[in-house]
Amino acid sequence: MRSGSESRRRIGTLARLLALAIGTALVLSFPQVAPNPYVLSAGVVIVNYAVLATSWNLVGGFTGYISLGHGAYLGLGAYGTGLLVTRADVPSFVALVIAAAIVAVLAIPIGIASLRVRGASFVIVSIALVLILLLVFQSWASFTGGSNGLVVPRPFPGLRRPEHHMVFFYLFCALLALALLAWWIIDRSRFGLGLKAIREDEDKAQALGTPTFAYKLAAFVVSATFTALGGGMYALWFGDLDPIFQFSILTGAYMVLMALLGGVRHLFGPVLGALVVGYALEYFKLEYGDTQLHLVATGVLLGLVVLFMPDGVIPAVADLYARFFKPQAASIREVSTAELLAQRAAEAGAQPGGGDGGPGGEPGGTSVPTSAEAKR
Amino acid sequence: MISGSLLFQSLILGVLLGGLYALLAAGLTLYFGVMRVVMIAHSAFLILAAYLAWYFHRQTGLDPLLSMVVTAPLFFVIGVAMQRLLITRLRPATRTMMSVLLTFAIAIGIEGLLGYVFTGTHRRTQLSYSGASFELFGARVAVVKLIAFGLAAAALGGLFLLLRKTTFGQALRATMQHKEAAELAGIDTDRVAGYGFGIGLATAAVGGTAMALDVTIYPSLHWHWIGPLMAIIVVGGLGSVPGAAIAAMLLGVTQSLLQLPLGTTWAQTIFYLALFATLVFRPQGFFGGRLAQRF
Repeated sequence: MRSGSESRRRIGTLARLLALAIGTALVLSFPQVAPNPYVLSAGVVIVNYAVLATSWNLVGGFTGYISLGHGAYLGLGAYGTGLLVTRADVPSFVALVIAAAIVAVLAIPIGIASLRVRGASFVIVSIALVLILLLVFQSWASFTGGSNGLVVPRPFPGLRRPEHHMVFFYLFCALLALALLAWWIIDRSRFGLGLKAIREDEDKAQALGTPTFAYKLAAFVVSATFTALGGGMYALWFGDLDPIFQFSILTGAYMVLMALLGGVRHLFGPVLGALVVGYALEYFKLEYGDTQLHLVATGVLLGLVVLFMPDGVIPAVADLYARFFKPQAASIREVSTAELLAQRAAEAGAQPGGGDGGPGGEPGGTSVPTSAEAKR
Repeated sequence: MISGSLLFQSLILGVLLGGLYALLAAGLTLYFGVMRVVMIAHSAFLILAAYLAWYFHRQTGLDPLLSMVVTAPLFFVIGVAMQRLLITRLRPATRTMMSVLLTFAIAIGIEGLLGYVFTGTHRRTQLSYSGASFELFGARVAVVKLIAFGLAAAALGGLFLLLRKTTFGQALRATMQHKEAAELAGIDTDRVAGYGFGIGLATAAVGGTAMALDVTIYPSLHWHWIGPLMAIIVVGGLGSVPGAAIAAMLLGVTQSLLQLPLGTTWAQTIFYLALFATLVFRPQGFFGGRLAQRF
């Protein structure tokens, strides 16, 4: 019996490794397969999105603190890199690392200010940060180039355009691998466990001795740093920065959308989301050009995901698979607070008059009847 | 050196602007109070109302203020529908966070549609009294700004009376203060929350119409409003209507005064500085706002 499950697990691991190897090979062979430089550049954009979404997921997925303002760290990373290269003549990739380090240091006071408060205020601060940085970088034109933009010299001046795209495709892939590795390690660590405890119930986690504030802050700083690396790499690749696009709430929203769509609890969720959303965005740009329809499409997609698939595609598909192929699920599994509440609500509905769980930690914790009603 | 009359002029402009901020922040406070929802789309609806007022004026030639007769009830209905059909669908445990995303989605949807229908061109309503102004102790006050302020003040006053003097207002405040207790007292909190949402959105219609009188509008303008408004409700203490009004007035006046030495762009940063200062020193907000401690 035991050996049976053991061997099954081994097969599962092997299958996973195989899938990973095939996936990696497919991604890495993309530049060879891409028919023209435009498709290749679209590929670079999508991998960049994957880096950003995975970085976002380091804080959004683990702690449940949804930041709409990760565009701030993206912009700071991009402008930090660009300014270091143009104003201080720092070598390109050294500038990238220094810029990311600067953002990491900046993220500490920002994190301290914004993580003190939960939920609503955190989101408000994250949005405010992008808006304030946009103001500053647009107004301080003598230093940042303002709305005229900042031209960042290419790190490899000898390369032709397709080769330039190809090199950066691999560089972005390396960065993505690094971000995924960081997520994977945190996911399996005690630190990650603490972060997930914060996501499910911060008060209880704190009561049980999890250093919630330090954990949140650490995750926040790591996430901001990876986002800055993604932004800096973009600056080196694209070579032209404009505050409007760098400090954009929309980019922050894309990260959230990608991560949620793919599934924030899964390693490859944000990558999958980036693939879908990134492809859709490129398609919209190509089909409808400069009209504002891509905004409407993004809005509709985000709304649909939030309303109907807040856990993402991967769990939705996995649920379907489990329903048809695995009637007996394991007895121990991860249950989110929301699911627990829904279960409790169902039980309370089945036996009227039964206690409804008592006051919970969350704003809606006590309003179990509402959730039951909403389900109907 | 900045002269006294210039200072006085800025003070007046600040008060006039603060009135509009106060009305809009009151709307945001209502949403947060009844549903714990941060309504990012509030300022997008504001711009939508401004566009409707402008379009109404262009098509009919009538005063844009009249468009409010249609937009305010319409927005009320939209607000109720939004609360009933969208917000209540979210899981209670993650509602605050997810509602931010949902209303954000609505905001960019509105922005995109406005851009698609009316193009990105900057629009301005031209009225017979657009250029009119009068002197008040040496300060020039534009008539349109005064009308906008009067409208905002009247709406805010009406809202205050509604909340304080009517049975419905009592039910609404009870829902904001303690939902379960309100339910035990026989209040249909779902219905009340829906109406609260509708009233909040109706304030955006009033504010937007007032704004259409003297502001140049374009689809992405709402981003310039949502930041200051968010800052105001945090400084005022989330969920406190008087707190939001006081914070709106103070920050509006400060912004207006700071414009003299710093210019318009940098003066805006006062909102964000106030926001960060509030979070560092007094996360529950400076004016009341018992609700804020947990959020």
